[in-house]
This record gives sequence, structure tokens and C-alpha cells, in this order.
Amino acid sequence: MTSYGGYKSTSYGGRAGAEDGGGFMGGSQQGSQGQKKSYVDEFLRPVTIKQLLDCKPGYNDSDLQLDGQPITQVTFVGQIRSINPQVTNITYKVDDGTGMIDVKKWIDPEKAGDNESKFVLDTYVRVLGRIQSFNGKLHIGAHHVRAIDDFNEVNYHLLEATYVHLCIVKGSGGGGGDGPGAGQNDDSMFVDGGHVSNANKTANCSRLAQRLYDFLASSAEGTSGVNINEIVAGTGMSPRDVSGAADELLGQGLVYTTVDDETWAILDY
Amino acid sequence: MESTPRVTCAYLNSYVGKNVMIVGKVIQLRGDEALIDADGNITAHLNRDSHLTAGSGVQVIGKVNPDLSIKVLSSLDLGTAVDYNLANTVVEISHQHRSLFASD
Repeated sequence: MTSYGGYKSTSYGGRAGAEDGGGFMGGSQQGSQGQKKSYVDEFLRPVTIKQLLDCKPGYNDSDLQLDGQPITQVTFVGQIRSINPQVTNITYKVDDGTGMIDVKKWIDPEKAGDNESKFVLDTYVRVLGRIQSFNGKLHIGAHHVRAIDDFNEVNYHLLEATYVHLCIVKGSGGGGGDGPGAGQNDDSMFVDGGHVSNANKTANCSRLAQRLYDFLASSAEGTSGVNINEIVAGTGMSPRDVSGAADELLGQGLVYTTVDDETWAILDY
Repeated sequence: MESTPRVTCAYLNSYVGKNVMIVGKVIQLRGDEALIDADGNITAHLNRDSHLTAGSGVQVIGKVNPDLSIKVLSSLDLGTAVDYNLANTVVEISHQHRSLFASD
């Protein structure tokens, strides 16, 4: 697999569906705004609450970002510290030891008894939902909240959140449980087709550098290169991230500057 | 409420006066005191709401006293199917990757 890519599209998407199909339900909420959004990057990310509280809006006031990636759908675990039933939703305060966040579960008026909490205080729950920002304060619009029966799921989740964080920040290692070894990439040749050649070249690069490289590969025509402004507009990365990623790629001899210092093209040989 | 870092016995020294979260096995119950094994034995001073079972796993949140015992603020019985190695590993990981876990 192109390790992280594989994690994102195959294993993770697959599992989100298998668990309770919560992964893609949010799509309809934003459709009505008439604003075209890319759902390519939208995947269910396991996080700690501390990570959620640290999320910053991306460049151009775009979606919230975590580790330089847009973030919308999340899953996390925590203990319910307070239950506050409202007219249209139940608001829970959920605490996982790293922080506390409000989780709003909207009430389905068609469903009898949906307006009462099924949970006792201090129960560990798993939440699947969408990050929402209201008056500068973050909360989670929950698609699904369920009690955790096996406490080990809590620890398992914290490790998974760390694993995904490291995959994104440090680039893909031997992800998905693939053992280390030379033959590892052979599999993916058949699975992912053309994408793999990029992944092989940028295997040692950070996630941002990989994203820049993939963008250049998909948009570069001829040898004139792509200007930083175009890259910022096309990827949603901040100019600083783009510069950093470009420096990294330059250092590895994967790209070169063309008409000026902020225009890059892929060095193909 | 601010965050409660996950710790084992070995980390108590660095958290005197702070609130922490400990996952361990209840070794012994003596009145309002409990001995909890979290990669080493920790004495916990229980509150009235604590319902611990010897031999079961427990998660306690409490304040670290200067003598490295814990004044329990809240406790949760975890039953017997707790993987303590996993819990201890998570503590190590959470201290290695503080940006995900610790807010200080």
C-alpha cells in the first residue's frame, strides 16, 4: 500500500462503514450551502480531545486543520462529565483526560425516547461526529454516541490516534501492519497504479511535502512549473507550509525552481 | 476542568500537587485505603463514592500527595478484562507524544 493513502481509503473507510456507517452521513449538511467543497480529503480521523481543541482554521479561513490537513469527521472516546438536555439536542461534556469538549447529539423527534440520555455520568463513550465551530467555540455535532463495553477500546483508541498523527506528520512508514522489507511496495503497484511512483519517490518525505509533490505531478504542464500562489489556492496549504515542503523536496532533488524562487517543477528523469 | 495526564507509578514524582489519571489493578483494600498496581504499587486514599473490588482493574483520577499517595477524586471500576500492559504502554506513548495528550 502507499501506506497512508491505503489507510485512508481502504481500511479506514471500510471500517467506519462496518461499525455503524457514521462516516459519511454529514455530507448532506453542507450540500445546502451551495458552496462546492471537496470531499476527497474527508475521512474519519481518530483523535484525542486535546487535538480537537488545538485545531486551527486553515489558510483563507478554510476548514479547520490538524497536522496541516483539513479535518471534519472525527471519532474519539471519553467519559461523560455532564448531561444537559435541550429542546433540540442533548449536550454532553466529554473528557478523555487530555481535555474536555461539548458533544451535541441532535434529537430525532420521530424517535420516541430520543430526547433522553441513555448514559450514566462517568460512562466511557465513543463519539462519531463532525467538528463544528459556533461563535468561535468548538463543539462536535455527533452522528453517533455509544457506550464502551470493553475498557481496552479506550487505550486502543489513544494508540490509534497517535499512529494516525505520526503517519501524517512523519509521512507514511510501514503502515497498515505491513512488515518492513524490500518487497513491501510491490503489492501496491497493482493496487494504486500510477500513484505509486510518486509514493516511492517521496517515501521519506513529510506528508506536506508529499501533498505538494502530488499536486505538482497532477498539475504541472511542461517545464514552466507552478507558482506558489497557484499551489496555495489549489491545495489549501499555507504559503509557509508550501515553502517548507518545497525546501524539503528541493533538498531531496525531487523538484527544481524555474522562473523564480517560488515556482517549482518536478525533476523528472 | 484541566487535563488529567495518564501516569504510572514511576511518573508520580513529577506530578506532586497535580491531578492525574491512573489505570491499575486493585491489589488490596484496607478501609478507605487501596493499594493499586500501576507498573508499581500506589497507595490511594478513597472517597465515599469509590466502589473498588480487589482483583479488578480501576481507573482513578486524583491528586498526587507529597508522599506520592493519591487522594482519589473519582474512580471507575473496569472489571477484570483489563490489559495492563496496554494501559502502561499508553502511558509511555502519551508522554512521548505530549502534543496529543498534555496541555502544559
